[in-house]
Amino acid sequence: MRRIIQQTLIILFGSSAIGLLVNAVSPRGIPYTRPPQAQVAPQDVISLQDAQGAWSTGAAVFLDARAPADYIAGHIAGALNLPTEDFDQRYPLIEPLLGPDQPIIIYCDGKLCDLSHDLAEKLKAIGRIDVKILLNGWTVWKKAGQPINTGSKP
Amino acid sequence: MLVKTTNFFLRLALGAVLLLAGALKVFNPAGFADSVQHYQMLPHEFINVVAIIMPWIELVAGVFLVMGVWVRASALLAALLSAIFMMAIGQALARGLNIECGCFGTVAGSRIGLSHLAVDVALLLTSVWLVRNATN
Repeated sequence: MRRIIQQTLIILFGSSAIGLLVNAVSPRGIPYTRPPQAQVAPQDVISLQDAQGAWSTGAAVFLDARAPADYIAGHIAGALNLPTEDFDQRYPLIEPLLGPDQPIIIYCDGKLCDLSHDLAEKLKAIGRIDVKILLNGWTVWKKAGQPINTGSKP
Repeated sequence: MLVKTTNFFLRLALGAVLLLAGALKVFNPAGFADSVQHYQMLPHEFINVVAIIMPWIELVAGVFLVMGVWVRASALLAALLSAIFMMAIGQALARGLNIECGCFGTVAGSRIGLSHLAVDVALLLTSVWLVRNATN
């Protein structure tokens, strides 16, 4: 048993060392510490009422930050699916559908859902200015009896 | 004889799963760090280090299992990892977090659910079996 624990520790420390080493030289390497996550600032949040207004006038584009399977199961009518984790691949497909300064409203689901926040950061990083988050969006929208769709079409 | 054959296939299967999971994350450390953050378990200072190191432990343990090197030690690590994943997914489900698993990188994007827990239980049982019964 002692030998097994020794081997386990060797693998553990060996692979950790490899990981740190590779990260240091790889172009995909990331910093060793991560900055604290910014909280969603109050000015980045949109109320359900304002979101409904923007929806009915068609002023804003709604982006669904959840995974495709969730989107297909049900989404805000007209919303486009842009899963946060596939941002780099999928944003180019969505970009042509957005007006240059068109307001964007992002939602995911659950009060603790980080996907919207991450997506907002990414959109701001590439220069989108008017980005708002509808907190707990899917749940509150559905509860309010607002228009929804299912399937892969917006 | 039967135990030996069982061990052989179990270690290949477990090794392949770990190898795949590790390899997919190794290629996208930034994406995996995001996934780790979504579980909201770790202070932000530790997230990146975990995201850098953990996939390599999976990968190396997976390679060892497939090759049949240090099988019991690698299986012990696999058991520890599965236990950690179970805790992570369990607490996320309990808190109602709506997040991607990140288990196999972001390739097979799927929201965490009970099926992920079930897979983890299977991995844990396989690992424990190998720790107890495998020969090095």
